Amino acid sequence: MSPPEPAMKLELFDIQGIVGRGYGKHSSAAYLLLEVEAPALARRWLAEKVERVHTCEQTPDPDVPCFNIAFTHAGLEALGLDAEALNTFPSELKEGMTEPQRSRALGDESGAADPESSPRHWDWGGTAAGQRPVHLMLMVFAPSEADLATTIAELSVLLRPGGLTLVRRLHTALLADREGGVREHFGFRDAISQPGIAGLHRTTSGQPLVPAGEFILGYENAYGLLTECPRVHHSLDPDRLLPPAEFGTHDLGRNGSYLVVRQLGQRVRAFWQFLDAVSRDPDGVANPQRRVALAARMVGRWPSGAPLVESPIEDDPTRATDNSFGFHQSDPQGLRCPLGAHIRRSNPRDSLDPAPGTAASLAVNATHRLLRRGRTYGPPLSTTFDPDEILRADEGDERGIHFICVNANITRQFEFVQRSWINNSQFDGLLDETDPLLGTRRLPTGRTTDTFSVPGCPVRQRISGLPTFVVVRGGAYFFLPSISAIRYLASLNS
Amino acid sequence: MVVLRDVLAAIGRDPVANPLVPFGDLTGLHYGRFVILDGAVDPGTGRTVASSLVFNCCVDGPADQFLQALMARAGSGLWAVFQHCSGAPAPGEHGELLAWLRRHRIPTQTFYVNTLGRTVFQILKEAQLRERIEGFLDRKAGSTTTATSPSTVRKAIQQFVRGTNDLAWAMRPEPPLPWAWRLRDGLHRIGGLAVGLLVGLLALPFVPLFLVVLRRSEINAPHPRQDPNFRLSQFNRRQLSQDEDFFIQNQFSVLGFIKPGLFRYATLRAILVVADFVVHHFFREGDLGTVPLLNLHGVDTIHFANWIVVDQGQRVLFLSNYDFNLEDYMNDFINKVAWGLNLIFGHGVNYPRTDWMVFGGARDEQVYKAVLRKYQIRTQVWFCAYPDFSAITIQKNAQLRAGLFAELDSAAERDWLALL
Ligand code: HEM
Repeated sequence: MSPPEPAMKLELFDIQGIVGRGYGKHSSAAYLLLEVEAPALARRWLAEKVERVHTCEQTPDPDVPCFNIAFTHAGLEALGLDAEALNTFPSELKEGMTEPQRSRALGDESGAADPESSPRHWDWGGTAAGQRPVHLMLMVFAPSEADLATTIAELSVLLRPGGLTLVRRLHTALLADREGGVREHFGFRDAISQPGIAGLHRTTSGQPLVPAGEFILGYENAYGLLTECPRVHHSLDPDRLLPPAEFGTHDLGRNGSYLVVRQLGQRVRAFWQFLDAVSRDPDGVANPQRRVALAARMVGRWPSGAPLVESPIEDDPTRATDNSFGFHQSDPQGLRCPLGAHIRRSNPRDSLDPAPGTAASLAVNATHRLLRRGRTYGPPLSTTFDPDEILRADEGDERGIHFICVNANITRQFEFVQRSWINNSQFDGLLDETDPLLGTRRLPTGRTTDTFSVPGCPVRQRISGLPTFVVVRGGAYFFLPSISAIRYLASLNS
Repeated sequence: MVVLRDVLAAIGRDPVANPLVPFGDLTGLHYGRFVILDGAVDPGTGRTVASSLVFNCCVDGPADQFLQALMARAGSGLWAVFQHCSGAPAPGEHGELLAWLRRHRIPTQTFYVNTLGRTVFQILKEAQLRERIEGFLDRKAGSTTTATSPSTVRKAIQQFVRGTNDLAWAMRPEPPLPWAWRLRDGLHRIGGLAVGLLVGLLALPFVPLFLVVLRRSEINAPHPRQDPNFRLSQFNRRQLSQDEDFFIQNQFSVLGFIKPGLFRYATLRAILVVADFVVHHFFREGDLGTVPLLNLHGVDTIHFANWIVVDQGQRVLFLSNYDFNLEDYMNDFINKVAWGLNLIFGHGVNYPRTDWMVFGGARDEQVYKAVLRKYQIRTQVWFCAYPDFSAITIQKNAQLRAGLFAELDSAAERDWLALL
């Protein structure tokens, strides 16, 4: 049951490309975090660049570099957007990812006295004194590292005269596997399951398409409504660069969206060390089979990508990209894929209320989908992702995921998934456990949530003492404007 | 008022064990809260309502018995609070304050209890039972294999409980509610249905007129979708959220004016009476709003909720104790029981426009969420005896205990083990 085509055709020429695709064929990418120092120059720079921003209408040529651009609320302010217009952005954007109450809700400030993921320790976007503000993010995609370097050099030469300074460059490195997929550092195939957008994508492997308004402002969302858009008073847009909206305003949001960016550092060796320790035979001998099976139970897919609901006993690479499954019919109790597995928490599909296994549950689930667009960074501990090799390696470098997701309503989508599913210690009837990969291990009250249960017959197996495997190192919420909105921002004269 | 706020803040910092009103020492108390209702001008009538202080407790057993125990344990702390209310007796005899409190007790029009008859004591000891059994299973994980039969595991658990002195209570099921109570309750149900039927029949001829007046009121009442600033606003989110997301459970207090005119007021009062009867008799085991016949799926994340008409019928105060985050709560209600929200809150000023009282309304997702934040007020003190447990967890714990020594066939035995 897929939603009807949106009543309005998507204006692909006005929507930035990252909404429609992850530029997977561009093997190299970097995210440049910029600060606006001279607004007038920055606007001029933007005006020059806007025609080159890649859109959903263009088919990306894997041989040609391209880029997209996003703005924080502080960035919009720095560019000179009018205060009244700034005030029309949703509160999560205005307050930012590090507002203290929000940090607690997201699990970044957990019960520990000085949690590692606290924004006080972040490398960027955090709250430590002296940290430079992030205003813009330039996402650059290129066919090779060399091309990426050239493109960035080209863009950077113009930065200073463009009134912009580089706060930080987030490097990325795709981890290709031999099967033609990409992996994340723990060694699991990633970028398999994505929501398809009605009107933009064809149906994706049996999963229902999601209404465009869940990811693009200006179109009907899963409630059949238009998500509230930021807007400017019509008198502030005399050249009519923006489409007209209600109440005598012009629509700054239409064809735009929001990006959540979080740098998630992964402790790869610690992950496998823990699994190795808890999966050993009673006589203390390592049991690689049990080790990988337990890891797979934490993820919900095998390293190849094969979903546990379909291959519960062992990995089956022929099912690597299967995504046409639900949880309720074949696995209501989590005997195949534990209820707390990462993919079952982050996209429970048909397994939750109001009526598991029915269209009603899928309809509610559709209101909490994320379009993941991030990339891994840092060198892999093992190029074959072999746990034994990882265990012998030295953790050394920093590595992880620059987690990026596109959503039209950060509160109802990203924040909900992070807080109410991933970090909910009583998710789906579980007790005292959060996402085994990336959940917080403690509630603000100090109650520990460091267990993971694998349902089984005759009774569950419960692993306790899970350490932290993923640490937040930076992050921010961004507005991903339409091409016309970028033109509008470039035209401001404050 | 400033001093009162300070006193309440002191209590609120540690509701369990503060020296003034140590809620944690009071037996049979599920929830306790102090909320200040700030005075305001009724937008409909222009009349001013004065500020007041609300003290709300959800307790096991008779309220008066609780009040006496409370006075004995925290009498002077209550003085420290209530001396700031006009007309409160001068410090001295606890008996005087008790009498004054009794005189100022106001009725709750609709009172929702997740599971009728489940006491604080039961909830806490069953949580402990669960924890002990989970610990037992963890310790003997090595000796259980997939070849071990479910009944062997269950027997081992039973033996563990039998052999543990402080779990002796778990060998007997929770006693049912007293027969006299059940008899009275059954008669109340029958009598209520009969009266309802009669009143319904008598009212039937007036239904068309009612619908005409209702529809006019729905079409003419101003609603927040017409106000751009309202729609975008999260109002006091930051101020309110500082009290949220510490535990599995959360609370909120919402205070709003009733739409002007006798029609709305009378309709709401009638609905609250019916709702009180319906939730008491038909939604008493979790799942608020589940009506299989109508294919309606309810909400199983509310522990206790009170709807109270205050300020001589001008405002309604809604107090809720619920699981998880406010966003969960709102999504749950929008997705599952918008009709129920609409029936009650649709009579409030600024509620998103309803159609025929049940349609529309809360389904206007973002507007509804803005409305809730706008009328939400800070709860100065909130106490919960079991803030770390969701209603589902409490329910599972109860099933675990109920099935522990019950006769179970092998399928039921497997389901029972799956509770762990
Ligand atoms: C270092 C951190 C993370 C790692 C290692 C990780 C790993 C994975 C893996 C291996 C998959 C399965 C591949 C796939 O279905 O595409 C996956 C899926 C997914 N992850 Fe993560 N993830 C991380 C962080 C996050 C975060 C922070 C979120 C959201 C807040 C998230 C949301 C999702 C979603 C929505 C899916 C798709 C589930 C589905 O549709 O079946 N992940 N992740």
